[in-house]
Amino acid sequence: MAVTVVQNATCTFCGCVCDDIELHAEGDRIVKAKNACSLGEAWFLHHTAERLYPDALIDGQPASLDAAVERAAEILDRADLPLIYGLSNITSEAQREAVFLAELAGGIVDSHTSL
Amino acid sequence: MGGKPACTLGEVKNRADLIIYWGGNPAECHPRHFTKYTLTPKGKFTPNGRKDRTMVLVDIRETPSARAADIFLQIRPGRDFEVLTALRAIIKDQPVDPERVAQTGLTLDQLRDLAGRMKRARFGVMFFGMGLTMTRGKYMNSSAILTLAAELNAFTKFIAMPMRGHGNVTGADTVLRWTTGYPFGVCFNRGYPRYNPGEFSTIDLLVRGDVDAVLVVGADPAATMPQPAIEHLKRVPTIVLDPKVSTTMRIARVGILTAATGISAGGTVYRMDEVPIPLRPALRSPYPTDEEVLRRIRQTLAARTDE
Repeated sequence: MAVTVVQNATCTFCGCVCDDIELHAEGDRIVKAKNACSLGEAWFLHHTAERLYPDALIDGQPASLDAAVERAAEILDRADLPLIYGLSNITSEAQREAVFLAELAGGIVDSHTSL
Repeated sequence: MGGKPACTLGEVKNRADLIIYWGGNPAECHPRHFTKYTLTPKGKFTPNGRKDRTMVLVDIRETPSARAADIFLQIRPGRDFEVLTALRAIIKDQPVDPERVAQTGLTLDQLRDLAGRMKRARFGVMFFGMGLTMTRGKYMNSSAILTLAAELNAFTKFIAMPMRGHGNVTGADTVLRWTTGYPFGVCFNRGYPRYNPGEFSTIDLLVRGDVDAVLVVGADPAATMPQPAIEHLKRVPTIVLDPKVSTTMRIARVGILTAATGISAGGTVYRMDEVPIPLRPALRSPYPTDEEVLRRIRQTLAARTDE
């Protein structure tokens, strides 16, 4: 299978955010992470782009993305005080969306920092 | 509190001649910190790399990081605040009781030696880890080390930087700061942002049962939080976004699978020195990104609210 090489890839495992990793990708997995430390290498090799799960789960049952988004909006709409929590292992673009959603829902947004 | 004297890791690489790690174990938790940013790189004003720098490790036990250190100071558990406060006094030539210093596990001579090195350094850095921030004293310890760094600037250039883990936890602080003015625990229920740790921090909210719905993204609290907090997550409708079916997704009302950050989802992540770095994902995910899903939920919620 053809190997794609990505130069200067960024590792998000720890706060060092090393941005000099050379990734070798084959199909739906990364087979080599040059320059990465042992933690970073395990991180890159562990994740794949396989379709291992359904798009979404509602009450534990497989569901479509559309239905799950609709249900999530309904839950937030009905809540008096929803909490949006986490924000650690997501991009800053997604973090900004989380803040926007918290503002619209009249809720609370919080991260790992508060622990 | 005296604010946070900060710099980038590039400045550390090019300038720092005194590197202090406090309550952290970079050799095992941030393996490339020494070689990429702090100890061995040859910088503009540190042309000989490791030879131009002194490294001090302060911790309660001798971790593998001690092997990299020139000086290892072993303090008694829970005595960080006392050591930091004694250092603040010694630096200002204030009297310090040797017997009370001895209770920290260090001698007054050891602290005087460290204080002297701090004042003589051209550019000093203290990297502090969870051994400082999550033990007895907690945020008061963080406050003490930041104040010490700020006060050292009366003598030389000195900064303090938290050793953040967890990928983009630095980004969460930064994004919340530039969108709401506060770093975490922000409440919008009055239509404007309010900040009050203890009132709006997650564990307190869950244990007290204050919130009646939870959306979790980029975290797996059911695997790590105290049991009473997890019980509340099970009680209220919970929505989870995650690249895999996580422990929290298993107890959630709604689970949505998303692309993995930096693996198959692009965007920006903040390094521990608050420098934003672009991602270069190597794979294409069959799932949407967290950003796309959050935006769709927000748009759907907005449409419902307009009705």
